[in-house]
Amino acid sequence: MISLPHYLAVGAVLFVLGLIGFLTRRNLILMFLSAELMLQGVALNFVAFSRAHGNLHGQVFALFIIAVAACEAGIALAMFLMLYRKKRSLDISLWQALRDPGVEETRDTVPLPAEPKEEPLPVLATSGIEPARKERDYA
Amino acid sequence: MLADSSNDLNWTVLLPVVAGGLAVWYMLPSTKRRPMVFGALAGLIALAGLAAFLVSGFGEKIPQTVEAGLFFGFSGLAVVFATLMITGRNPARSALSFAIVVLSTCGLFLLLAAPFLMAATIVIYAGAIIVTFLFVIMLSQQEGPSNADLRSRDPDLAVVAGFVLLAALLVGLERVYDWRNVDSAIAHAQSLADAEQVNGDYLSPLPPMENMGNPIPLTKKAEEFLGEMRTALGRVKVAAPRTADDRRLTDHRLVQEIENAITGLEMWAFKHHDVEAIHTNCETIAKGLTRLKNLRNGSATFEDVVRSEHGEVKTIGNGPKQLPAANVSAIGRTLFSDYLLAIELAGTLLLVATVGAIAIARRERKTS
Repeated sequence: MISLPHYLAVGAVLFVLGLIGFLTRRNLILMFLSAELMLQGVALNFVAFSRAHGNLHGQVFALFIIAVAACEAGIALAMFLMLYRKKRSLDISLWQALRDPGVEETRDTVPLPAEPKEEPLPVLATSGIEPARKERDYA
Repeated sequence: MLADSSNDLNWTVLLPVVAGGLAVWYMLPSTKRRPMVFGALAGLIALAGLAAFLVSGFGEKIPQTVEAGLFFGFSGLAVVFATLMITGRNPARSALSFAIVVLSTCGLFLLLAAPFLMAATIVIYAGAIIVTFLFVIMLSQQEGPSNADLRSRDPDLAVVAGFVLLAALLVGLERVYDWRNVDSAIAHAQSLADAEQVNGDYLSPLPPMENMGNPIPLTKKAEEFLGEMRTALGRVKVAAPRTADDRRLTDHRLVQEIENAITGLEMWAFKHHDVEAIHTNCETIAKGLTRLKNLRNGSATFEDVVRSEHGEVKTIGNGPKQLPAANVSAIGRTLFSDYLLAIELAGTLLLVATVGAIAIARRERKTS
């Protein structure tokens, strides 16, 4: 049987990945997804402990986590929509006027890399005689 | 419990942590274009290292069963797609990766005998929450490259902080759940207790007549043995209050007995070739360590715990700890008996959240 610490280790990895995502990403939606990832790691821990102790309290806690996550998702996504309507972007740094006093402003000095140019679609070379067009055909 | 244990650090934890940190740092969005091959390579090394740590780290042999295969498959999927989620440039793809993480976690829930939770998580998370995410992503689509998706905030510091935390968690787990040095100490003490003749390496050579008054040194083997016993004792000892009304009397008495036995071996038995004392002391140590270990890992219960005067203390039985087979009805019973108030509150919370979300997202119409 796979024992308790193995599941705890997997939960720890998920939690840490979510933490890093929350700290680094600047997209509001990505930050929120990372928070949900942390919750997944915690829920895995609860269920593993429930199995190890042989009672259902851990599973009940995981259920409450799901309920709270659903509330969070509803409210947070509504707020993201409002924020997007105000600034037309999901970048969290656009709201840095709300930061604590004494924290330095984030300035993006390096320009973003240019989008790779898409190859133009192939165009057939014209050959032969162009057929006469009649205006009335399109009417 | 951790402060006293002095077992060596298992260095296999370093490989997954360092390689994983490099992989995540490398794959996070940045203004420099980086070929993804190196990130993927470091990620694969980290995954292999994590699997090796899980296989060897906790001192129990993993049987080659379907369960083990499914566990490693689901957790590998979850970790890979979690990494892809936090490093992805496209939020829609990140949301779909998160759906796969949720599905893999549901597989782990099923392995942990939680079928109801698995179904609920699939329906609510993968079904409802992620679809809502996709709607919001669709509603707030941006054209072209954006600061939000192509830059990260302080990736170096965040990755270092995260993976230092991960290393601490993994090492902590290993220290708590790895009983190998206690087991070997018990076996060692038991072998000495059972041996007809004590090996001469343990016994100090008797001093010649003219040095009679001087202290007799212990042999190297004996010192190693005593050190091993002390380490094992430190591992199973809990820093508990030692007052007279300490509820863990058994516990405290056992620790004292083991300490006395170790001191007896050190001060007398090994030096004066007292085979009888060696046998009884080693027997005491082996028995005490076994009992303390079983108390710590939960396979035995305290015998003389003082019950509170406010009624019966709920005890977990001594038998095998098993979850009820009828998961759904058992969860229902727990929810509506032990957690009745909590579930009412959760329902209220959901209602309030629904009203709040509608109030926030409502578009203000100019009435004119």
